[in-house]
Amino acid sequence: MSPTNPLFKPAFDWQSRAVLGRHLRVHLRNWHTAAVPPICEPLIMLLAFGVGLGGQVQSLTWRGETVSYLAYLAPGILAYTAFMTSFFQSLYSAFMRMHYQKSWEGQLTTQVRLEHVVWGEALWSATLATSYAVIVCGVLAAFDVWGPLDLHWAWLPLTIPLIFVTAVAFSAAGLFFTAIIPTLDHMGLPFFLVIIPIGFASSTYFPLPDIAWLHSLVQANPLHHLAEGLRRLMLEGELTGHLLAAPALGIGMILLLMPLDLRLLRKRVFGDA
Amino acid sequence: MPPAQPLLEVTGLTKSLGGKRVVDGVGFTCRAGEVLGLLGPNGAGKTTSLRMCYGFLRPDAGTVRIAGHDLVADGDAARRALGVCTQNDSYDSDFTVRGNLEQTAHYYRPKIDDSAARIDELLRQFDLVDYANHKPEMLSGGYKRRLMIARAVVHRPQVVFLDEPTTGLDPQARMGVWELVSRLRAEGMAVVLTTHYMDEAERLSDRLILLEAGKVRSEGTTRELLGSVVGEHVVMLPFNTPEAANVDAWMRARQIRPATVLTDWHFALDATGLAAFVAAFPGLRYEVRQPTLDDLFLTLGKKEDHA
Repeated sequence: MSPTNPLFKPAFDWQSRAVLGRHLRVHLRNWHTAAVPPICEPLIMLLAFGVGLGGQVQSLTWRGETVSYLAYLAPGILAYTAFMTSFFQSLYSAFMRMHYQKSWEGQLTTQVRLEHVVWGEALWSATLATSYAVIVCGVLAAFDVWGPLDLHWAWLPLTIPLIFVTAVAFSAAGLFFTAIIPTLDHMGLPFFLVIIPIGFASSTYFPLPDIAWLHSLVQANPLHHLAEGLRRLMLEGELTGHLLAAPALGIGMILLLMPLDLRLLRKRVFGDA
Repeated sequence: MPPAQPLLEVTGLTKSLGGKRVVDGVGFTCRAGEVLGLLGPNGAGKTTSLRMCYGFLRPDAGTVRIAGHDLVADGDAARRALGVCTQNDSYDSDFTVRGNLEQTAHYYRPKIDDSAARIDELLRQFDLVDYANHKPEMLSGGYKRRLMIARAVVHRPQVVFLDEPTTGLDPQARMGVWELVSRLRAEGMAVVLTTHYMDEAERLSDRLILLEAGKVRSEGTTRELLGSVVGEHVVMLPFNTPEAANVDAWMRARQIRPATVLTDWHFALDATGLAAFVAAFPGLRYEVRQPTLDDLFLTLGKKEDHA
């Protein structure tokens, strides 16, 4: 992903930042409403699953030790937020901008080229996902201060760039579906094909059952590594290989998907392969 | 004084889509302060040519130079000198009218000098001051078009492409857009225009390019184009009269195929042909007029039907 590689150079061009800036401007104008989901969603999840379901489950065994379900869940929510926000933004919001709002077409009549629009969307989705992850950290910190959680915070800021890179990868996956789904009515497809399988086979909400092939399979899931890495960091204060595996797999996804996304979107937007 | 160097130079543009060659060696130029009309029936290759000119499609062959910059080799500089008003309303609906102009200005480098003053100037020029803080959806069709054209010129381009800028507008709004096009020409921009309205093409264009089946069929002023493709005079007469059979036979003998419009035949003749027609039908009532661009399209349509 060198800045001189023609496939990835547009990610570092000013035009991609201009597209990202456009999305940021729109978002900041609506910050008071835009901030509600990242604050409320983890809050609801922590209360419903952590406190509610956790009240029934009480605790579970993780790495041979007993932890409360709320504590198990907290880092999972953080990882899932990064995944879901980036994927959803680059799928639904980008699709709306491309297909209905025609704002892509407006950008493409300027010095901005398609590769900048696409990279701008991916970078914006990842930026938003990372900022939402930071907000979720704030909610978790409030739970920590309140009492139900006891988390390690020392190394957490170091994970922000790792979360960002992994989120770019999830954005690339979202853009793939943006390129291929015909209409808004088909938006359910990526949810069934990607969000649910990746989300559930990832150790975000519950430990994986002791099935060998499943454990092998999730090694390819960046969300699993992100959730487990954050969990080890936040519950035990350990920096582990999971935190590097997530962005490493993410970089692999970016290398694979972004050129494909660009090719498919060129065909979709311009009718030209 | 020698004519200025063209700001737009298009050479040998070729493009195949879906295995079919839709543009085949198209070339044209446009100079500063000139409005070039791009005409042709549906499927002639106008839109594909235009989309290659502003970088939406990559040509299989050929070059596009904008203000001396090659669109492929020197894309950023070429695009900096280029303004585009697409057929779709592609303004950004997340921003107000002023916000749209401000946001568009962010998409250019080098940055626009005095962009705030430039935007104020455009709002005044395009009569958008009263709507500056409105969302574009609130505007009428004519004012949306004004916004689209204002966006296209916010960076003071040298070449502007207007793709059917008045489609769907009422007559008053169309005339408003015509005034804006004239203003762009007066400011020295090279304007390339496509339209389906023949009166608009005639009125606005200094020069016309006629595309047919992906190739440049003819080019020149409106009169030159009509003379070369249609003819010098157009005869109109009703075909439901007793004399029609004789006229039909006269035309068949000369391999003239009239266009049929409602109950009339329209056919073009040169001066000699007209003299022969007048001599052949001394008592017949008919009308002779100058050809228009509508006749040109009827002529091309006849050829398509024949093919």
